[in-house]
Amino acid sequence: MKRIFSLDEIDRFPGESPRKNLAVVLVILAVATGLTSILVRLSYNSASAGIVYVLAVVLTARYTEGYLWGVLASLIAMLLVNFAFTYPFMSLNFSIEGYVVTFAGMLAVSAMTSALMTRLKKQSRELRQHDKVLMEAEKESMRANLLRAVSHDLRTPLTGIIGMTNAYLESGEQMTEEMKKTLITGISDDANWLLNMVENLLSVTRIREGDVKVATTPELLEEVVSEAVSRLRKRLPETKVCVQVPDEVLLVPMDAVLIEQVLMNLIENAVYHSGVKDAIELTVEKETDRVLFHVRDFGVGIAPDRMESLFDGVGSLKPNGSTDAHRGMGIGLTICKTIVEAHDGVIWAVNREQGAEFIFSLPLATEEIPYE
Amino acid sequence: MNKPTILIIEDEKNIGNYMETIVTSNGYKAVCAANGVSGLSMCTSHRPDLILLDLGLPDIDGMEVLERIRGFSAVPVIVISARTQEKEKVEALDAGADDYITKPFGSEELMARIRTAMRHSVQTVQIANSLIYCCDGLKIDFEKRLVTLDGQNVHLTQIEYKLVSLLARNAGRVLTYDCILKEIWGPFADTDNQILRVNMANIRRKLEKNPAEPHYIFTEIGVGYRMREN
Repeated sequence: MKRIFSLDEIDRFPGESPRKNLAVVLVILAVATGLTSILVRLSYNSASAGIVYVLAVVLTARYTEGYLWGVLASLIAMLLVNFAFTYPFMSLNFSIEGYVVTFAGMLAVSAMTSALMTRLKKQSRELRQHDKVLMEAEKESMRANLLRAVSHDLRTPLTGIIGMTNAYLESGEQMTEEMKKTLITGISDDANWLLNMVENLLSVTRIREGDVKVATTPELLEEVVSEAVSRLRKRLPETKVCVQVPDEVLLVPMDAVLIEQVLMNLIENAVYHSGVKDAIELTVEKETDRVLFHVRDFGVGIAPDRMESLFDGVGSLKPNGSTDAHRGMGIGLTICKTIVEAHDGVIWAVNREQGAEFIFSLPLATEEIPYE
Repeated sequence: MNKPTILIIEDEKNIGNYMETIVTSNGYKAVCAANGVSGLSMCTSHRPDLILLDLGLPDIDGMEVLERIRGFSAVPVIVISARTQEKEKVEALDAGADDYITKPFGSEELMARIRTAMRHSVQTVQIANSLIYCCDGLKIDFEKRLVTLDGQNVHLTQIEYKLVSLLARNAGRVLTYDCILKEIWGPFADTDNQILRVNMANIRRKLEKNPAEPHYIFTEIGVGYRMREN
């Protein structure tokens, strides 16, 4: 019942074709006529003759385009009731006292009902269009914001590299070995950072545009985690991480490249923004239908005023009091959120009494793991 | 002095120079080719001891170069790929490449791969007959089929032992999922590698202190496994 009356798929049925619309009218009226004759026979009076037709008119208005067909159906219905279901039966007669008023009334009511239905349809259609436009605009503005923030973030290390290489080319002879080493290290750091950012961005392209989902394969939890940690250690050898995974062998559906990116982003974030040298804790725990990843640092925590917009990628976050002007991980966190949500997971951050903790979830597979 | 020759087939000048520098400063002789065709001809004219092959060549597909080389030589080949070229890496390994290295790489990593590949090629006979794998407390006696960790006996199932000894006999080299599946489960094995991964997970729990921080057997997701060199 609900489906007949719901206003879903208004745009697709039946369209502008007059033949199709006429067909709808005729079919509905034919069915109504059949139902009415049964009804009248069973109730032994013709008072219920008009009722079914009013319903028929409403349905006609719902399933045809424009006001015309509903009103036409009202007219035909009225004539049918007069012809077939009121005395004198099987003939049209408006001269009997009261008939004109009765049938005019019937016509008026059913015509207005159909008009109402048609109007409702139009409004629903307009709302839907409006919604679509809003969503598109939002996506566009998100993309524009991301591009702006990214370009800004990419420019900084590049200017650094250009500056340092110029310095060497111009005044290399006067430099001590120590100075040269510092320059080269700086260039290396910036270049590595750039590469990481590019990989972050590339990973976003792995997410399917249309439905913002990813292609997942079941991956061994411990393998993904260990690869993420070792890749990060290659880039940042001084990273101290304690890793803990459940004893149970867990296969979790995911895009390994993307989840490794998330883990590396979160750990790197913890290393640079915690402000302390303590080891980062990466713990994974299993819940009934999902797996939770915890990245915990023991540093200064997240400023309360930044908690809200942490994952929004709003500009570069300046690290708390750190003299190392390491570029903000605003983008990194936004990308983490995009990736996690594309996996139907959730990501959030909390402040612990010492330091901050980032947590994200991934839904678990429901099939059995095959064993040899 | 007879230095081993390494042929570098790489079209990007900077990377080619960089590799040449690393290799020569580590005691090898380097010859370079900037495209597939000249690479192939240099292969036959110089008879290198190892080839560094870039997968993204301008004229012929890197894979084709590899296949042609394999047509007449078992010279060790290390393919150089970009991070996202996972499928090509695996294809190359399955087509006969000995190992791979991902750009950007450090000189240590490159030299380590070169040394491993050379070792395995020169000593394939010796390794096949070698009786013991020993590394940081893990000891595998191939003759007695015994695995001990810090002196303690480790009990492995039949399949688990086969896996560990296969990896150990190829220590330092990456073995693709496909390669391992075929070796252990036969050529008609299902290509679904879940059974392999579950077995590896169990092995890890028996050998490693922390399965998430492996010391002996490393995972290269999407590609395969690599065991630490002894």
